[in-house]
Amino acid sequence: MQCKSFIKREYLRLIALGGIIVFVLFPLLSLVVNIKGKDLAFVFSDENFYLSLFNSIRYTFISSVIATLLALFSAYLLDASSLKHKNFYVTVLTFGMLVPTLSIGLGIRVMFGTNGFLDTIFGLKVDGIGYLGLILGSIISSFPSTFLILYDALRYEDKGPYDAANIMGISRLSTFFHLTLPYLKVALVSAFFASFTWIFSDYGIPMELAGKAKTLPMYLYNEVLSSFQYGRGAIAGLFLLVPSIVSFLFDLAFKDNSSAEKQKKLVKPSKSFNWVTIAVLCLVAVLLFLPQLSFVFLTFIKSYPNDMTLSLINIRNMFFGTYGLGIGQYVINSVLLAILTGAIGTSFAYFLGYLAVRKSGRLAKVVNLLSVSTIAIPGIVLGIGFMFLFKSTNGIFYGTIAILVAVNVFHFLGTPFLLAKNCLTKINRDYEIIGDTLGISRFKILKSVLIPNSYSTLIEMFSYYFLNSMITISAVAFLCTYSNQPLAILINSYEKSSNYEMQGAISVTILCINVLFRVLFNFLKSTLRKNERKESENHMTLSRYQFELLTYLEANGKGRYSQRFLSDTLTLSLGTVNKLLKDLHELGYVESNSESELSISDKGLKALEPYRVRKAIILAAGFGSRLAPVTLDTPKPLVTVNGVRIIDTLLDALVNKGITNINIVVGYRKDQFEELKKKYPTLTLIENEEFNTSNNIVSIMKCIDMIDRCYICEADLYITNPDVIRKYEYTTNYLGAKVKETDDWCFKKSNGYVMSYDRGGEDCYQAYGISYWNEEDSEKLKADIKKVYNSRGGKEYLWENVPMKIMKKNYKIEIRSCHKSDIIEIDNFMELVAADPSYRNYPGSEKF
Amino acid sequence: MENKILSIRNLKKKYGKRLVLEDISFDVNRGEFLSLLGPSGCGKTTILRLLIGIESPNSGQIMKFGEDITSLPPSKRNIGIVFQNYSLFPNMNVYENIAYALKERKFSKEEIDRKVKDIVEVVGLEEHIYKKPRHLSGGQQQRVAIARTLVLNPDIILFDEPMSALDADIKVVLRALLKDIQKKMHITMIYVTHDQEEAFALSDRVMVLNDSRIVQFDTPYNLYHSPSDDFVKKFIVKHLDMKVKSIEDSINAM
Repeated sequence: MQCKSFIKREYLRLIALGGIIVFVLFPLLSLVVNIKGKDLAFVFSDENFYLSLFNSIRYTFISSVIATLLALFSAYLLDASSLKHKNFYVTVLTFGMLVPTLSIGLGIRVMFGTNGFLDTIFGLKVDGIGYLGLILGSIISSFPSTFLILYDALRYEDKGPYDAANIMGISRLSTFFHLTLPYLKVALVSAFFASFTWIFSDYGIPMELAGKAKTLPMYLYNEVLSSFQYGRGAIAGLFLLVPSIVSFLFDLAFKDNSSAEKQKKLVKPSKSFNWVTIAVLCLVAVLLFLPQLSFVFLTFIKSYPNDMTLSLINIRNMFFGTYGLGIGQYVINSVLLAILTGAIGTSFAYFLGYLAVRKSGRLAKVVNLLSVSTIAIPGIVLGIGFMFLFKSTNGIFYGTIAILVAVNVFHFLGTPFLLAKNCLTKINRDYEIIGDTLGISRFKILKSVLIPNSYSTLIEMFSYYFLNSMITISAVAFLCTYSNQPLAILINSYEKSSNYEMQGAISVTILCINVLFRVLFNFLKSTLRKNERKESENHMTLSRYQFELLTYLEANGKGRYSQRFLSDTLTLSLGTVNKLLKDLHELGYVESNSESELSISDKGLKALEPYRVRKAIILAAGFGSRLAPVTLDTPKPLVTVNGVRIIDTLLDALVNKGITNINIVVGYRKDQFEELKKKYPTLTLIENEEFNTSNNIVSIMKCIDMIDRCYICEADLYITNPDVIRKYEYTTNYLGAKVKETDDWCFKKSNGYVMSYDRGGEDCYQAYGISYWNEEDSEKLKADIKKVYNSRGGKEYLWENVPMKIMKKNYKIEIRSCHKSDIIEIDNFMELVAADPSYRNYPGSEKF
Repeated sequence: MENKILSIRNLKKKYGKRLVLEDISFDVNRGEFLSLLGPSGCGKTTILRLLIGIESPNSGQIMKFGEDITSLPPSKRNIGIVFQNYSLFPNMNVYENIAYALKERKFSKEEIDRKVKDIVEVVGLEEHIYKKPRHLSGGQQQRVAIARTLVLNPDIILFDEPMSALDADIKVVLRALLKDIQKKMHITMIYVTHDQEEAFALSDRVMVLNDSRIVQFDTPYNLYHSPSDDFVKKFIVKHLDMKVKSIEDSINAM
């Protein structure tokens, strides 16, 4: 059994490794194998080869220097600014990633070329085809990825030093040279290499723009596809590999892919800086969008450059026109290819990431290295490798959509692999061990723990594969036959027949499909995030400490609360307060403004809402015999102490906290309570005629169905600290004050909860008649009181004995502690006199 | 029935050339609370990993109830583990976390429900049963982790510094809970810590480790009153004395 699963596991790993070997290493080997002596002799004496090589190096170098600087500038400005919606700017600046390089080349060609838009419309003669066009196209096409490398690096920079520099009065320019650039050193070189590799091995731009100039990828392309000189192509391919290998080795040695948590900048840049940023980014965006504008425009032109009137004829032609294209078939090819590549590639890359991260040993290292190294292989090289290796399988593999899927899966493997790896690294490493001890298989852990926690990464991986499959031409160009040709390659075919409008129309189609899917992917991701948040909110009962902090902020309003202050006030450790604030900020429950004033947010208020105290039930039916003679004609709650009716102290406190649903059960001298309604119009009086013959359980039975998230209070508490009544309560509790000794009702505490409830005790909490019942306990309480009431002699009970004694097991009642001086208990005439000396000579008092 | 639940004989473990455990032998009694105490790098976590079976020793034997389990996979040992970082399955709620292993073992729905609810009551999480781990405090998460292991009724539970990430007051409550569970359910617990007080507060016996070997293995009382060598004296006796003194000082200062 054990042995079997062991074999199975090894088997899977070997398949994964085998895939890389067959589809990456073998094609590369076949490249070398295909080179013959005479090819070497030919190529190295071929003037064209040298011309192409040197030309390639020259324009690639110039373009990538400019592209890197432009990207650096844009990334720095965007990162340093305090603009909102930065993701929007990133989307705009990387929009070019959604179209094939051929389309970018085409756009520039018809914009700047002879008889181009500028020429025909404005009479501006720019010799676009040739060197300048080549450089411009290369910059535009390599900008997005270069920009992303730098922007990502900047986002993970620790911004603390900038604050320090700002406070020391060091200028922004100086920090740029002394902090930013040194920090970016590695990323800059890496971005330059990425840009260089990209431009060096791309043949889409040169195909449209090189004119008579020669480049190495075109040399390869012509040798292989026009002259069928595979060996010569292979030699060119090896040369194309060189910069990518250098770049790869550099990244391997220096680049740190880990993303640490960064410190956000506190000091915000000035408004003018933001405006400069916007201006610069707009300029860059205009440059980037030029080619796209121009090919969109081109699509709607009758016949470029002869008849520049607007028309929809190209669109019509594309679908059913004289060329008989039947664009539908190619769209299906392309989308099918992209979806298959996405699905298979994502699964494969995720599995490789799993092997590399969640397994140990040499195999994991090999898998890691091999997978990452696929980044170093230019598509054009992998493409001819595939062609050499699989040409003989024509019809079975070669020439089908399968080979295109395969080449794309491996060509684009590197980035999704890194995404998967990054995601899986962040998931706790101990799950497998836990699973082992619990008897849950590795596969089950992968299926029900790891994958559900990687959904958003999986979408990102799929999206990467999809979008790239839609635009790539480099590898697939060598593997297409008539039947499996995707859209992007079609542009290539029309380039050969110089049909510009149709190239434009196809570019637009690709762009539309990509935008559509991009929107879909983003929608999926945001739905995922929203669901998570929603679920959070639904299930989000606040933690105790979160509750305490939020209610404190709610009660005390906006202010500059230091963590130290909060820690002292809420009696929490400083570390706890720090973490609390971080969590609450993340949840969006608290917000702080630029003056670092802290306040509760609307969302925070919403989160508190379930804890809001809904109502109060006040039991005021009793006679209050112990306060005679005062209570002979006035019910105890209505006795005035220092000019205030006792019950008013409670009612004021309730109303003050927004609790206006107040229900008073009255009995003895009930008419006198009507007077209260003048001052408190929202209160309801409920009658209990049996007040004289039974205990207070009868009173509570009168309003039993009202019990729900409410206070239940006695009516004779003279409240001196109105804060014993709170707007929000976390859970069921009973108010009590710690005392050394008492002969009153009191409870003992264990773990913060009421353990026992008795009359008289030492070192206990004296019970004050204010309790709160949460939703769940309210339900229980209703049922339990009814049960006791209906039992024999049920009317003789005190209601509080039901949850506190008789059915104690059903409840967990917290002790909410207050100070003894917060409430003055006036239980007998002497205490009344002590509280209000004016009663000293009350008529009839001498009898008592 | 034999009282010894575990017998460890001459365990040796190397990582490459580095020796991390040298000739470790000890016995564990049934229902005992045992702590492995020592400075970082002394090998205490390695012992845990060997006991649980996620690593195998270079030589030596691990016997449970007299049966050699040295080469048994973790799932066959009936030993549970609780980590410092809780390691709860983040996409499952408290109930699902605890029920997962039971489901894998093909228990009936009713049985799972009963077992989970029982155990949830033991660790005092009734109110939080449908919450996801990220909505729980550290202490609550650790309770879930304990419940998840406990529900399988293991012979032994291992704890890998389970409280080092928690606030001091929560630690005290959790310690009491652990002791309570251990007594009620009569489960053997082996507890790795570098915190002397924690070890002393919880354990029947404490194993002091240093430099890959056992320095002394005894009751807290004996460790304190008759330390076997200078290391124990310094690591345990002096440390505790200092702690007591600092508490006295702060009381006096008041």
